[in-house]
Amino acid sequence: MSNRKSLVLSIVGIVIVALFLFPVYWMIITAFKAQTEIFRTPPTLFPQNFQIDSFIAVMQGDVGQYFLNSVIIAGLATLVVLLLAVPSAYGLARFKIKGVSSMMLIFLVTQMLPATVVLTPLFIVFNNLGLLNTYAAPVLATATLGVPFSVLLLRTFFMGIPKELEEAANIDGCSRLRAFLQVIIPISLPSVLVCGAISFFFAWGDLIFSITFNRDQELWPLTAGIFNAVGRYGIEWNNLMAFATISVLPVIIIFVLLQKHLVEGLVSGSVK
Amino acid sequence: MIQVWKKLRKDAGGYLFVLPAVIFMLLLIGYPLLYNIILSFQNVDLSNLAGGKREFVGFANYRTVAEEEVFGISIQNTLVYTVGSVFFQVIIGFCLASFFSMKFKLAGFLRGIMMISWLIPMTVTALLFKFMMGSEEGILNQMLMTFYFIEEPIGWLSSPNIALWSVIIANIWIGIPFNMLLLSTGLSSLPQDVYESASLDGANWWQKLVHITLPLLKPVIMVVLMLGFIYTFKVFDVVYVMTGGGPINSTEVLSTLAFRYSFSDFDFSLGAAVANVLFIMLFVISLIYLRMIKKDEAI
Repeated sequence: MSNRKSLVLSIVGIVIVALFLFPVYWMIITAFKAQTEIFRTPPTLFPQNFQIDSFIAVMQGDVGQYFLNSVIIAGLATLVVLLLAVPSAYGLARFKIKGVSSMMLIFLVTQMLPATVVLTPLFIVFNNLGLLNTYAAPVLATATLGVPFSVLLLRTFFMGIPKELEEAANIDGCSRLRAFLQVIIPISLPSVLVCGAISFFFAWGDLIFSITFNRDQELWPLTAGIFNAVGRYGIEWNNLMAFATISVLPVIIIFVLLQKHLVEGLVSGSVK
Repeated sequence: MIQVWKKLRKDAGGYLFVLPAVIFMLLLIGYPLLYNIILSFQNVDLSNLAGGKREFVGFANYRTVAEEEVFGISIQNTLVYTVGSVFFQVIIGFCLASFFSMKFKLAGFLRGIMMISWLIPMTVTALLFKFMMGSEEGILNQMLMTFYFIEEPIGWLSSPNIALWSVIIANIWIGIPFNMLLLSTGLSSLPQDVYESASLDGANWWQKLVHITLPLLKPVIMVVLMLGFIYTFKVFDVVYVMTGGGPINSTEVLSTLAFRYSFSDFDFSLGAAVANVLFIMLFVISLIYLRMIKKDEAI
């Protein structure tokens, strides 16, 4: 491809992406506008009066607590996912045990089930176990989103690792578990990281589990908080968009850090 | 004897690796799924939730639900929502995938950055579109009016005739990058020599698209359609946050209806019945999907 053509296509590409991501730009830019500027006709595409009052206003509210809750819920859910999914994927990839295909089927099917179907029963079960209004309820529920995805993605990855690596470790007298921990885990770290990040995103984005299981607002994540804030802030869209920007920030940071791995991982984890 | 013991120990090791995750999913998804079916045949509300006497009422919940006008509406809305979203996501996704498959300098980077719309929590996206689609102050109406596409502001979310499509637009935006990504992977796996010989035979781009790309890409497109259907059919957040099912039930879908029965009316059995209808419809689609990918590889 000639340099000239490459340049033209690059510019067209930038325009397409800029148009496509306009809503994200609009969210961030609105957060920096004053209340009077939001409703101006014609709308200003860049704040004339750049101000951070909206961020200060929402920070003085409950955003700090919501943010912390989101980190706790998504962080713990990710931990649960990795502790369960990494060994499971390895076992499915390496051990010749009975029922591998039916266990794979369980993961495939559970991955497709809507939260709505399990919501009411889980509510009743968690109620009986006394788990309502605790972090445990959304942590356990959102972990079910990441587990099947991660198992399916990591199994494919583990199957691609040459067996000789572990065999060499076994001859050295390593046990199977130590071979797994000392040989397999280190070389799979990028893939494990991708699973962790995506499970984190799944849990970070959850609304339905938290608002259902936790009536106690002290335990709400950002998503529930922002949903509730619609009523409270009314049409103070600059405050709402500041809230939204804060909610999205960690996702974008993680995405930028892991972009290359994430895009590849998403494809292989979704199609299988 | 020793060999049997060894084999058992070896197997046990395998199960120790595999089973915790399987049990976790069975407890938190499998068991609730069965429980939901039982619930839908009982009469559970707040009074007997925590251990009062529950009675089996046969199909009474399903009959109650089916008699409500909103049930039919929500099935129809769910189907329109799903088909509308998936149709446009796949078409736009395909165009973008084709564009980015031309190997220009920034292609990979730009394609990757679009994923942001898929990663943003749906609650935030829904709120953002609600803001942009506001009838007076929303940027969408303002822009359309500035360029004289419309004279009067459109009630994107306040008009019952339009609201469903406004919600679909938000959902299309969320889903485009994911469709694009899967289709890109499919496109990059197509054999290049077929295109070269077609060019030698004087085929234009349209002929190449219709006679080479689409037929070769058909398995991938089918998978993308199925996945799109499965993931869109269970929509909740976008509708719940943007419209809450309104105005006048015009955007009510099965999942928001089930949620309303269970957690606004606290009629858990009615909610379970609606959720079950959703499940059965999804189950049929999933079976078709599983059969399709099973042909590709032994799972």
